[in-house]
Amino acid sequence: MRIVLDRPRCEGHGLCEEAAPQLMHLDDEGELVLDREEVDEADAALANAAARVCPVAALRVV
Amino acid sequence: MTPPPASDVDLFADDVLVDPYPVYAELRELGPVVHLRKNDVYALTRYDVIRGALADWESFSSTSIAFNPMANEALTGTSLASDPPVHTQLRATLTENLSPRALRGLKGQIEAKADALVAELVEKGSFEAIDALARAFPLEVVADLIGFEGHVRDNMLRWGQAAMQVLGPMNQRTAENFPIAGELYAWCSQVKATDLAEGSVGRGIFDAEARGTIPPDTAGHIIHQYLGAGVDTTMAAIGNVVALFGSHPDQLDLIREDPSRVPAAFNEVLRFWAPIHAWGRRVTKDVDIDGTVVPAGAQVAILLGAGNRDPRHYENPDAFLVERNPVDHLSFGYGPHGCAGQGLARLEAHAVIEALSRRVKRLVVGAEVRVPSNTTRSIEELPVLEVIPA
Repeated sequence: MRIVLDRPRCEGHGLCEEAAPQLMHLDDEGELVLDREEVDEADAALANAAARVCPVAALRVV
Repeated sequence: MTPPPASDVDLFADDVLVDPYPVYAELRELGPVVHLRKNDVYALTRYDVIRGALADWESFSSTSIAFNPMANEALTGTSLASDPPVHTQLRATLTENLSPRALRGLKGQIEAKADALVAELVEKGSFEAIDALARAFPLEVVADLIGFEGHVRDNMLRWGQAAMQVLGPMNQRTAENFPIAGELYAWCSQVKATDLAEGSVGRGIFDAEARGTIPPDTAGHIIHQYLGAGVDTTMAAIGNVVALFGSHPDQLDLIREDPSRVPAAFNEVLRFWAPIHAWGRRVTKDVDIDGTVVPAGAQVAILLGAGNRDPRHYENPDAFLVERNPVDHLSFGYGPHGCAGQGLARLEAHAVIEALSRRVKRLVVGAEVRVPSNTTRSIEELPVLEVIPA
């Protein structure tokens, strides 16, 4: 499965990074960087948790 | 399909506004959507349905976030009351200077202000928490952020309260507050860059307008939204922090033991007592909710606080437990219209909670006073009778 970021919608709240620091981080400019877009079954729960906490629904797992 | 269950509850009756939780529970048990005959609205009551509606802007339009046509008319053209695709650009303009990204540089200043204020109050030993902290702190932060000076600073409280009151149905509270909300609107319509302090974010919004980064004539509207949406709600949340820590010393202890629980504590404060009572949407077509139909064009009332206490989603929902860290609470809304100022609200509240938990062992609070208010549910007076310092 894959994490999809709606970049224009992302405002850098950073809650996804708190939920899944293994998969994504905010860079020095506060822009979200997906360190891994393709995730396997083992990380599915993390990816879903990150998508779930995004307050503006900018992340999806497909 | 059948119509949703109906109820004769009046969502905006004085006693319901002061303590809506019994009514929330009653409506939630009737169904995920309940037709309120007296208000002519369809109330969304359960967590999943509310979160789903907030994400589904195509079915649940923001063109009717208020419960009277005058307020909806006045909000036309703002990001708050628009749907995509128009909303997308307006939102980007609004958040250009308000997103966590834009606010990162302010964290240290906000923490220093919170700490100075909390230190002063702890030193006094007793204080009235709403005026001295819950109102004083957001007013200072937002005034300094936007660069307000002079009489505007003095009007922020009443203007911010009025802007939320007028979103209610056309009752006496709404009617009385329209002229005050009008003062705010009039001031924002004519404010100039030079009215705001140099180096402030407000001045930056005018600079962005001059550079063409944001459309012409939008700076005043953005400042209007900062003040209208960002003051009354944050004051409510910070007042709730003091009241809930006062009444739950064991929960304050948990934060004192481990300050990394500060964000979790704020999430739980927001979940437990939602600052916003009801928020409107209008359905654009017949919408099926669990086998019942909400007819096209109907006014919807999203009961954020009812969803936050839904036992289908949160275990033991009526208990205040900071360790549950409910990151998915509904108090900031969710999705494209999720609170644009939540980054600033978090900075402010985290700073206050951190300072309180570091400097205070226990807060002995007296009885809280509440007055009915159409949109924001907040404490009007809260005596802190004794501070036991850490």
